[in-house]
Amino acid sequence: MLVAWKYRPRDTFIQRLDPRARLTFLACIILAVSDAQVWDIRLLLPLFILTMVLYLMARIEWRDVWRAWAFILFLVIFIVGINGLLAGRGGPTAVLQDQSAALYKSPTLHIPFTPWSITLTITVVRSFFAITQIVRMLTMAILAIPIPYTMDPSIYGVTFRRMGLPDKASFTMDLAFRFIPTLGRDFMITVDAQRARGYELESAKGGVISRLRRLAPLIVPVTMSAIVTGEEVIDAMDLRAFGARQRTWTRQLHLEIKDYLFIALGVAILAFFIAVRVLGYGEFWVPEFWYQLAQ
Amino acid sequence: MDNQSGLWSFSTRQVVYGAIGAALYGVFSWITNVIPLPAAGNVTFRPAVAVLIFFGIAYGPWVGLIAGLVGNTLGDGLSGWGFFWNWSVGNGLMGMIPGLAMAMIQDYRSGRSIGIGIGWGALGIAVGMLFASLTEMFVGGIDLSTALVGYFTPAFIGNLVVTAVLLPILMVAFAGVTSRRGR
Repeated sequence: MLVAWKYRPRDTFIQRLDPRARLTFLACIILAVSDAQVWDIRLLLPLFILTMVLYLMARIEWRDVWRAWAFILFLVIFIVGINGLLAGRGGPTAVLQDQSAALYKSPTLHIPFTPWSITLTITVVRSFFAITQIVRMLTMAILAIPIPYTMDPSIYGVTFRRMGLPDKASFTMDLAFRFIPTLGRDFMITVDAQRARGYELESAKGGVISRLRRLAPLIVPVTMSAIVTGEEVIDAMDLRAFGARQRTWTRQLHLEIKDYLFIALGVAILAFFIAVRVLGYGEFWVPEFWYQLAQ
Repeated sequence: MDNQSGLWSFSTRQVVYGAIGAALYGVFSWITNVIPLPAAGNVTFRPAVAVLIFFGIAYGPWVGLIAGLVGNTLGDGLSGWGFFWNWSVGNGLMGMIPGLAMAMIQDYRSGRSIGIGIGWGALGIAVGMLFASLTEMFVGGIDLSTALVGYFTPAFIGNLVVTAVLLPILMVAFAGVTSRRGR
């Protein structure tokens, strides 16, 4: 059984936009933030505020979206933030080759029975990089989170078709989006079922190989069940002569002036971020008062 | 579930399994994006890679390409990483290249077939991750040594280990499903 995203029709500006305009805007912002390599928080913060305003305009009920927020905030703050704070992981050269003063240095911890010791050092540059990285990732996440909740799953296919993809590729994208919640649900059911049989997901016993092997009871059933479901989907599509001739779509899409303006805004932001980099600006920036924290 | 159709045909089967492969790779990547490889920059430890290579081997190069390209984009999008086109193309190549071995595999249980799967999987990982790491020099402004030592090497080793451990299990399970379904 396919599980649907928690889409609900709402009379909001965001949902009245053409889905092509929304996806194009999303693509422009993601490219601007991730590929243009702008690391200056003074440029990223206004974009973060803009995406937050758009998110609030979507008026998604908290009870629908809190799980997605909990996951994203955990990932962004704890995993990405702490990685950035301790190692500068994923940062530009200025962060990876950081020689700035330490804000905090932990006592040296000697690992028993080994010659090794660990000292955690949080520097001025890495601490501000963690904040910048959190802002960057939240900017993209805030824009992406509303998509499944505010875009009718029945228009995924026609959206990609009208964006220029061939019929089969559009249908592939449509199916891929539709399968995600189903497979996510199947994975969680499998985790619960295996735990009921004594499976310990969090067990840290053994080396990398045995820990990888322990993932098989989760990955294999979900994959094989998806393959069997796929055969049924193929039969259903073949019975309806899928691919025999050019496909027609019941829903039609029409771009209006507001959609063109929304696309133009996204393209303008992307062009601005690219121009900033080409002109040599947008490097990683740390405010002066942040350096003074180390003194 | 046969592997007798043309290597490069793109029919309903490729549409559906491309979508399922992409969704599986996206979901598994999303779940495991939180476990990073040591010293690997933005590269993360992905047991999902074994599923990607398996889809390439079982359903051919188009399915592998779509599963890697779209699945990586979905997984990164779901995790809030953003979109890095070079890593998505690299993941697409990682699924597509093992797909070229589809016609060589007749019995998914046999040691020979599993060896071919792991060998072509290793080639796919090498080409895909090398493409992504080297293009990172232009996209991310890193130098050649960081690209090879900091990105390519940990990604290649990590993905190879994942493939060597999980791909045989997936292939044997697939053989069981295929024999039960009779196609």
